[in-house]
Amino acid sequence: MEITIALAGNPNSGKTTLFNALTGSSQRVGNWPGVTVDKKVGKLKKYKDVAVIDLPGVYSLSPYTLEEVVSRDFLINEKPDAVINLVDGTNIERNLFLTTQLLDVGIPVVVALNMMDAVKKAGDRIDTEKLSGLLGCPVAEISALRGDGLSDLARIAVETAQAQSKTTKSAEASLAAAPAVSGGRFSEPTETALRALAELIRAYTSPETRRWYAIKLFERDEKALALLGLPATVAAEAEGLIALCEETLDDSSESIITGEAYVYVSRITDACVEKVQVEMSASDKIDAIVTNRWLGIPVFVAAMFVVYFVSVTTVGTFVTDFTNDMVIGGGIQAPLAEFLLSVGTAEWLTGLVVDGIVGGVGAVVGFLPQLLILFFFLAILEDCGYMARVAFLMDRVFRKFGLSGKSFIPLLIGTGCGVPGIMAARTIEQRRDRRMTIITTTFMPCGAKLPMIALIAGALLQNAWWVAPSAYFLGFASVVVTGVMLKKTKPFAGDPAPFVMELPPYHFPTASNIGHSMLERASAFAKKAATVYTLASILVWFASSFGFDGDGAFGMAQDLNSSVLYYIGNSFAWIFSPLGFGDWQPAVASVMGLAAKEDVVAVFGILTSIGDADAAFSLAETADMAALAPVAALFSGPLAAYAFLAFNLLCAPCFAAMNTIRQEMRNPRWTLAAIGYECGFAYVVALLIYQFGCFFGGRGFTAGTAAACVLLAALLFLMFRPAPKYKKEHPHAASHS
Amino acid sequence: MPLAFLKSGETGVVKGVNGRDDTKRFLESLGFVAGAPVSVISELSGNMILSVKDTRIALDRGMARRIMV
Repeated sequence: MEITIALAGNPNSGKTTLFNALTGSSQRVGNWPGVTVDKKVGKLKKYKDVAVIDLPGVYSLSPYTLEEVVSRDFLINEKPDAVINLVDGTNIERNLFLTTQLLDVGIPVVVALNMMDAVKKAGDRIDTEKLSGLLGCPVAEISALRGDGLSDLARIAVETAQAQSKTTKSAEASLAAAPAVSGGRFSEPTETALRALAELIRAYTSPETRRWYAIKLFERDEKALALLGLPATVAAEAEGLIALCEETLDDSSESIITGEAYVYVSRITDACVEKVQVEMSASDKIDAIVTNRWLGIPVFVAAMFVVYFVSVTTVGTFVTDFTNDMVIGGGIQAPLAEFLLSVGTAEWLTGLVVDGIVGGVGAVVGFLPQLLILFFFLAILEDCGYMARVAFLMDRVFRKFGLSGKSFIPLLIGTGCGVPGIMAARTIEQRRDRRMTIITTTFMPCGAKLPMIALIAGALLQNAWWVAPSAYFLGFASVVVTGVMLKKTKPFAGDPAPFVMELPPYHFPTASNIGHSMLERASAFAKKAATVYTLASILVWFASSFGFDGDGAFGMAQDLNSSVLYYIGNSFAWIFSPLGFGDWQPAVASVMGLAAKEDVVAVFGILTSIGDADAAFSLAETADMAALAPVAALFSGPLAAYAFLAFNLLCAPCFAAMNTIRQEMRNPRWTLAAIGYECGFAYVVALLIYQFGCFFGGRGFTAGTAAACVLLAALLFLMFRPAPKYKKEHPHAASHS
Repeated sequence: MPLAFLKSGETGVVKGVNGRDDTKRFLESLGFVAGAPVSVISELSGNMILSVKDTRIALDRGMARRIMV
């Protein structure tokens, strides 16, 4: 028989670290609240048939955010055999508040007192035995990070779950005899009301869940009560009881429950916890600097500079050049071609392998070191605890154009990869803010777009230093413009959600977390290289190498201009003419970029190496204009190339990211709207860049310039018109999807 | 008075949270309940970092106005 054990606890209490340690998997962890946004399932190591479920972190079981809904629904509807409640020992009072609620759900609870190493280091003392006695459930001391106490915890949890499944059977047998409620956690008037409510709903609940539902009924929790379906007469009687208690205690029923639960928790902590009083912790001292009114923003700018400048331009490029130069360019393509021909491989097959697969995939693989360096820095940012401070710092700024500081985290993660970036938007409570963040996250140049930026900068813009920073600036400006514009439309109107966020204590990034994060990236990249890039490269190679000759016979194409791809590309290349890159090659590259953004570079890699068999294309010297001349030849000039870059940075992301948008929007119309908006916005921006560039470059006023003027005027109007008044949406309706 | 009036480094005791909605419930579950001591760690144009129940919570100005100390 299978046993299910759920992991529940406050956000950032280390559930995912524990989950990874218990199950041997490698889920994403980070040091800010809300990293886990969906439940994850794994198998407990060394035990048969024990499933462990990692639930998103919650502060309480009253659903306020999406994660809380996920956690609560799982506990109530799926009824796991036991819950391991992870309690952060360094912050025990707030964590035990959730514990009191879990104890009431009616599922056996095992408290795992985490971060005990930090507790001991601080000189604090927790009497675990006493705590266990007072809570009425087993308590195990662990350190999930260091792996202390985990086998004991696993054993206790499994035993508790097994004991539970036995008692459930006997409880079912003698349902009528079961006691109505347990515990006496709250004040006397509250407990009296709860007992009466439990009696009222006796016929509608099972003994284990009765107290939970009585409390929810007392709190007037509509979502929980919808599950019960109480008749109107019972509901009215309950309302009378609640109102009476509210009058006695002179407070609203929810506040009574929360307040009294905290009183109960302080009684427990007073009895079992000894804390050393510290004036100012190390975290507070760091915060005094990084969230300082004057220093906060400069520190943030410096941190960003280090992350992006170093990984994109200096160290990253150095390593990437080395890989391209030594490993792929000279090291593989030329010798491989020689070898294949010498063993009598057909010429077309040699072409497929050397030009198609190695040329296409290789053009991309060369960027792996650079990406890994970027991910290394992002992993440190995520792990150390700075992320939540950045959200705090940016909140004032973001509020000016209608987003809250929480939207900054998805954008920052999106600079690594759009998929986790979009998923990180789930911590945003308000639906309209969440949607806007999902739409704008992929405007930020992700890691996969870096090769494209480097290629265009190297081939047409003399490797100008400003190209990469301008890509980030363009992405961020697009987020701002979109925010300002969409806030004035009906679906997005209204104030951004209030900003409330827990700031985790700083800790040194652990090597294992960073290693995991980079390894995960590298393996995802390898998988993509083996599948998407290879497939796309083969496809592009075939389509560009075969075609119809003069007589209309199908075969190896004489040159690219009689290839199949030429005809396909030309059929839609006109769409991009107003943007300055109406040739078929860039058009094909843009479309292939939908499979994966790296494919944009792969397409150029293939198309240019076919034309020139000797000088197999490699990005070996991105600084060398001559080596990239074949790529430069595909564009009419630097302006068109930059417009191409702008379009491909901002337009619909890759399929993987589009699929994530679909999952997160949970609404086909919104998904289409998001992707359509991104493409439309990208088109307009690229058109403005190209047309105004041409005009100011002295090419005179053309129809294109006129169109650009009209579009710019429309854009400015949408940004600066006074916000129309919309009927105010009910705040509750907006907060959950 | 509202928590927003406290200055960096000052301490108060929570009296209650104004309003009746999800936000109130959320603030309470974070530890802003009557009787809880709270101190201001830092303040940035109205947004605050607070210390309550041994944790650091960042709040915007609107939220800080709703918590009475």
